Amino acid sequence: MNDFSEFENELKKLRPVQPSPVLFERVEQALESCGAGALAGATPVRPPYNWWWLGFGLATAGIVVLFAAINFEREHRLDTATVAQSSPASEMRPEAPGTEQSRVTGRFVPTGGTNVVYNARDEGLHFADGSERPVRRVRYRTQQIWRWRNPETGASLRVSYPSEEIVLIPVSGQ
Amino acid sequence: MDFIASHENWKNCFSEVAPGLLLFARQWVQSAADAEDIVQEAFVKFWRRNHNIHNRALLYSAVRSIALDFIRRDKRRARREATVYAGTEPSIEPQFELEDDTQSALAAAMDSLPHDQREVLVLKIWNDLTFSEIAGALRISQNTAASRYRYALSNLKKSLQPQ
Repeated sequence: MNDFSEFENELKKLRPVQPSPVLFERVEQALESCGAGALAGATPVRPPYNWWWLGFGLATAGIVVLFAAINFEREHRLDTATVAQSSPASEMRPEAPGTEQSRVTGRFVPTGGTNVVYNARDEGLHFADGSERPVRRVRYRTQQIWRWRNPETGASLRVSYPSEEIVLIPVSGQ
Repeated sequence: MDFIASHENWKNCFSEVAPGLLLFARQWVQSAADAEDIVQEAFVKFWRRNHNIHNRALLYSAVRSIALDFIRRDKRRARREATVYAGTEPSIEPQFELEDDTQSALAAAMDSLPHDQREVLVLKIWNDLTFSEIAGALRISQNTAASRYRYALSNLKKSLQPQ
């Protein structure tokens, strides 16, 4: 670099054109207006999060809620039937006067349920037994939580268990 | 350069860096007014985020990206002006305050340098950036910045030698 040191000094003697005084005024105005929270023409400060990721997250959450709603609807019907079946037979029978209180206190009412799909895996195309049409096999792993409550006593029952569901989706030939 | 950008001292900071920033912006635009617009936007943006003036690479990086945006936005206008002024000699505003013929020859030789060498030269000579800061501002490696600088000086020297 020593070869060029003299040459560098020559270059440094060249003085760049000075900014116009108007530029200082313009910068001052812009800084003042941005201090007031309204900098015209300047790029707005970006929020600390990425809109794409926010959108993606919301879409994923929407899908999970949709799955949960669909599964809850289906399971709710099934559970209601199961609860009805497992209830004491006396509920179905005409009761003698004075026994209503004891029936009501022993009754649990479904209050809610959650079905969180935490993994969905596409296992590709398969041929179901005896079928010539391929089906797409999708395996869902979920955590299901169901709650019942006794409105009279306030007692509650909560059941949580993992579940796995395989869905076969027929594939139409093109 | 021992400043932290703040409301009180922005004028000191700006008056110190503005000529170099303008020269840097002029590497993309021919008009001094356009260069001032770019420098204004970059400096205000820089100040608003309250960066330490020590981190000059960010300031020059902002000037560069705003200048590139400006060129993209301005393409249509440039085409229109090129059609209107076709055949006339374009008036190019000087980038330096020239005092004699030697300086004029130097400035003319600068214009003939490849763009990537010229921007490194401008940052090094007239803005006092280190190769590390130049690398940060231009998003290149330090070695690339240093070799572009050497090529620029070598090419300038060659072009100024008597034929």
